[in-house]
Amino acid sequence: MIGFVARRAVTLVLVLLAVTFLAFAALNVLGDPLVNVVGALAEKDCTEVYAGVAEDQSTSLNPSGDCEIVAQARAEYHLDRPLAPRYFLWLSDLIRGDFGTSFQNNQPVGEVLREKFPKSLLLMAMAQAVALGVSIPWGVASAYRANRSFDRASTIGSFGLLSVPVFAMGVVLLYLFTLRWNIFPSAFDDAGLLPRLWSLVLPAVTLGLPLAAAYQRLLRTDLITTLQEDFVHMARAKGLTPVRIMFRHALRPSMFSMVTVFGLNTGTLIGGSLVVEQIFGIPGIGREIVTAVIRDDFPVVLAAVVVIAVGFVVVNFLVDLLYSWLDPRVRAA
Amino acid sequence: MIRSHRASRAGLAILVALGLLAAACGGGDDGETAPDAGGGQATVGGEAEATPEPEPATETAPAEEEEEAPGDLTAPTDTVPPETEEVTVEEEPQFGGTLRVAVEAESDGLNPTANNFAVSAYVATYPVIEPVAYWDVNGNWIPHLAESFTKIGDGSSWQLKLREGILFHDGTELDADDLVATFQAQLASPIVGLAVRPAYSVDGVLKEDAITKIDDYTVQYSPIRPYGAFPRMVTSQLGQVVPSEWLARRAEDPSIDQMPVGTGPYMIESRIQDEVTVLVKNPNYWAADLVDVYLDRIEIYPITDSVVGAERLIAGDIDVMITSSSEAILTLREADGARTIENLRSSEDFAMLNTQAPPFDDIRARQAITFATNRDAYLSLIRQGTSPPADTMFHPDLIWHNPDVVQETSQPDRAGPLVDAYCGDFPDNCTDGKINMELQYSGPSVIQTRIADLLIDSWEDYFNVTEQELLQDDHIVQVAIGQYNVVTWRQFGEPDPDFDTVWLECASVGFISINWPRDCDPERDALMYEQRAITDLDRRVEIWHQIQQNMRDSYTYIFFNYTNWTVGARDNIRGICGQRSPDGAELFCNNQGRIWLQGIWLSQE
Amino acid sequence: MKPANQPLGAGGVKPANQPSGASGVKRRSSRGGADGLDEVKPRRLGLGFWLAASWVVAIVAASLLAPVLPLTDPTDVGVGGPRLPPSRDWFFGTDSLGRDVFSRTVYGARISLAVGGFAIGFGMVFGGGLGILAGFFRGRLDHVIGFVFFVLLSFPALVLAILITATLDRTLLVVSLTLGILAIAPVGRLARATTLVYAEREFVAAARVLGARRGRIIVRELLPNVLIPMGALTLLGMAVTVVAEGALAFLGLSVAGDDAISWGKMIVDGAQLRDLQQAPHVAMFPITAMFLTVLALNLVGDRIREYYDVRELAF
Repeated sequence: MIGFVARRAVTLVLVLLAVTFLAFAALNVLGDPLVNVVGALAEKDCTEVYAGVAEDQSTSLNPSGDCEIVAQARAEYHLDRPLAPRYFLWLSDLIRGDFGTSFQNNQPVGEVLREKFPKSLLLMAMAQAVALGVSIPWGVASAYRANRSFDRASTIGSFGLLSVPVFAMGVVLLYLFTLRWNIFPSAFDDAGLLPRLWSLVLPAVTLGLPLAAAYQRLLRTDLITTLQEDFVHMARAKGLTPVRIMFRHALRPSMFSMVTVFGLNTGTLIGGSLVVEQIFGIPGIGREIVTAVIRDDFPVVLAAVVVIAVGFVVVNFLVDLLYSWLDPRVRAA
Repeated sequence: MIRSHRASRAGLAILVALGLLAAACGGGDDGETAPDAGGGQATVGGEAEATPEPEPATETAPAEEEEEAPGDLTAPTDTVPPETEEVTVEEEPQFGGTLRVAVEAESDGLNPTANNFAVSAYVATYPVIEPVAYWDVNGNWIPHLAESFTKIGDGSSWQLKLREGILFHDGTELDADDLVATFQAQLASPIVGLAVRPAYSVDGVLKEDAITKIDDYTVQYSPIRPYGAFPRMVTSQLGQVVPSEWLARRAEDPSIDQMPVGTGPYMIESRIQDEVTVLVKNPNYWAADLVDVYLDRIEIYPITDSVVGAERLIAGDIDVMITSSSEAILTLREADGARTIENLRSSEDFAMLNTQAPPFDDIRARQAITFATNRDAYLSLIRQGTSPPADTMFHPDLIWHNPDVVQETSQPDRAGPLVDAYCGDFPDNCTDGKINMELQYSGPSVIQTRIADLLIDSWEDYFNVTEQELLQDDHIVQVAIGQYNVVTWRQFGEPDPDFDTVWLECASVGFISINWPRDCDPERDALMYEQRAITDLDRRVEIWHQIQQNMRDSYTYIFFNYTNWTVGARDNIRGICGQRSPDGAELFCNNQGRIWLQGIWLSQE
Repeated sequence: MKPANQPLGAGGVKPANQPSGASGVKRRSSRGGADGLDEVKPRRLGLGFWLAASWVVAIVAASLLAPVLPLTDPTDVGVGGPRLPPSRDWFFGTDSLGRDVFSRTVYGARISLAVGGFAIGFGMVFGGGLGILAGFFRGRLDHVIGFVFFVLLSFPALVLAILITATLDRTLLVVSLTLGILAIAPVGRLARATTLVYAEREFVAAARVLGARRGRIIVRELLPNVLIPMGALTLLGMAVTVVAEGALAFLGLSVAGDDAISWGKMIVDGAQLRDLQQAPHVAMFPITAMFLTVLALNLVGDRIREYYDVRELAF
């Protein structure tokens, strides 16, 4: 077991390094950080000036010397060095807890993340709550009389729900519940806990319903298997009511795969929240990422990507451990 | 590359500085840059506000008139408050309450000496950091923190005397040292400095005596050229004064740009970027006896989707909002319980052509695209009747307007022969008898995409149009260095057109050009410098008529419409217009969306 | 280690098995009569399948034939008034620029399907190739490829997609490639798992004993067997990529250009608050088209998967 954990931990670290490097490299290769730092001057050809063969023809806006500014910025951000050393400089800052400073407003990125993450976490928690609240009764009901008409209808229903794109769901719900029936507000309302929760209902339902359909399928499948087990037959023989058998005896042992997926679905939720936070105007991390990408705000994008990826990898690692603890065959594999 | 030191910021600033000038002028946008509606999508938001501020300091009308003349000026310029102004009901103003304001964008920071101010920053900071001078309702400058301005000689120097006994929020007294420190901070700022330095330096060297402290409450400004009306220069963010102690702290910790200190009737209590800025009443406001300050608290929310902002205003979550989005204006106009204060007399929305790159270095191509442009469709489908068509850079109500200049759009049949002639001469720039060109715009933005789709549809009979959608910063950079054919833009509309010459001068053409079309015309330059040197209003008007004709004849700008800057307010909101300065003059209202929040009160009705 | 990370939204159907665990190891529930429908093992495809298949065929045909169909030019501004409701003249009404929504919906299928098809094809070729190699050769190569897949899956996919599309020119190729790259890891894992199953089978072992070259075994023996189940997956995967394109469009980052019409771009245009209020049809028609197409792809893919009893392929 210890050896297994150690091997997994090494993999974990390697994956984290790879993910952070990928993010760092993607940002540096896809965009030119120099443009972000010095703007139009990055486009200026300074080679002759540096070589001393030409005078620096400064622009009317910049009497202080364009090429000097460019050179300073390159040194400042280590842009004169190759990608790998730059990555390690950045990484060592990150490990010390220094996420850098936003290009946009000089705020420490750590602070930005601290402000935005809680809202997204709340949204995701509510989405999961919606998904569980819907899927458990639904799954139980369809497993109770498997292959009967309700079950068949809900198979179609869950299939349909899984085919609705998150953004389409969001637009339809926004149209119906906000514009047509005026039940929910059209934007995030931060005036206290209740308004906040109330304004997150629609987005949470948008994210939660497809999840509920996925959970329902898992739960139903496992429940049907469990209902074949001996202890269920015994309970029936003892004359317990079907409801009692379901909720007291069969449900818990059938929730294993659902609970596993429950944790892992965080990835799906993060992707969905990027879109949903746009639709419903929630100032969370998803919206922040999109805004930062569009503003070319490297440090914020990088930090957000890293935090999400690390969270995801670590959760995976933990689930893996949990899983192998529950099922020793995994260790052997 | 992530750590931020001072030097780096200097570099970054260059970009932002461009942004300041460009974005100021619209980054091509539409307040509606805030693209996304409930339909959502990315927010380019903020930078797109149209605020050609701070004014390019170099050029301003030269000497004339007597000293200490508040309200001299080319008075009638614009600025009569719009007719839609509220009817003054006899009603006793109410004290207390919270005002919730929505702006279309968030500002990077609120430090007038370091951040580029667009509408949202002005709305948030005017109640906090007062300027030394401002505009009255007729467009004349009036003193605010200043007690008086004195012209020395021909206007080469101006003395500013402060009122005595004014306290900043941090308890220090406003004095000449603060003015000097503020001025020096502006000069040192790579962003704001762009607007200040040229007025005080020759060949990049700052004048020794650019600013001199005369006594504890008096400083003397000595720009390189004489000014007829220097106080106009300090009505904007350039005139907003912050304490020298605060500036010293700011040098150590730039993040306090978010929480500046001033002399105003309100203080910043808290600020969360992209969410809310909260102002609370300053109990020790120096002018409390002179002007009434009603509200206890002001909350300013950046809501990038203006229609959402309008909906929230109608729903009662917001009291006042500022927008230039046609959709939001229509939503507000149709709503019960809300009203609009609209001003059409400032900037214009237009397309502009790069005259230094093929195909639009040839006037026939410029004429062809102008004729082909379906402006009628633009006005009806994009503006939806919220903004009237613009023919020149001046609204017809302004004295500067030349009624003989007409924008020749929506005449596609005139384009054909020109395209044929052009393609005959330059077959390499044409394919299938159409001119090849690129339309660049900033995105992602639904409204910008619509505009592009519409324009391309009207051009595609004569042009093969490639679409190039860039992120806002990249877009401004590309335009500044001349890497474009056609872009949509917003610009002009300063209270005095002399401030707008910077967009038209030959001197503004270079590696980085803020004469974006790179259209240098010595004849036009001569006209502009002539009007700058004189004070005869009739002659100036005559010259500006010629300049408009000249701009039309060069076919560099395709004017679409006058920007509609609208203030939306719930019915119980009073006092948006008609506010008074400490000296009792009525303040200019809704200057390109910039309103003063401090005189507003909430009616109980 | 974990199932395909599907950050792009709800498009993909997750068959009810393999919640987690190392690949190859199955939980009791995933084998045997887990899915109620399977107990009967219907060897018929059913009416739903044929309806769905017809819809897919119809959409593909319409998108291919769009230029020769009697449709209004979908980019023509002001062919009707702005935001007209559906009528005899305009089946789906008009949008804010007075363009024909019906014509745009038909043309929109082109980009949506092209991006979806290309992306999943790319994922199949590269992910599938890598997966087969990993599954066949095992050992160190398997470890390396598995690691690459894991890294790709750990990266928030939509974030990677917007990073690429926000920075590069958003041509059809770039957007398709971006989504194709995202498809590599999930597809590759499945290819690997399938290969593992077949690599153990007798006919492969026999070929080995007979001394066939490994390349030959892969191409002749393995590939055809892996391709069949992967084919079913193509349809499921395409549903995911169609939705992914929509998500990108929603963030304003799908294929650029006035003639690059996609359902996602139409939806975001129609979903602007005021448009949604005054002319909900502008968003609802492309939403319906996309939903039906994703549903049909899922249904057809799922049925084929069941038909061939491709059970271990959780996508």
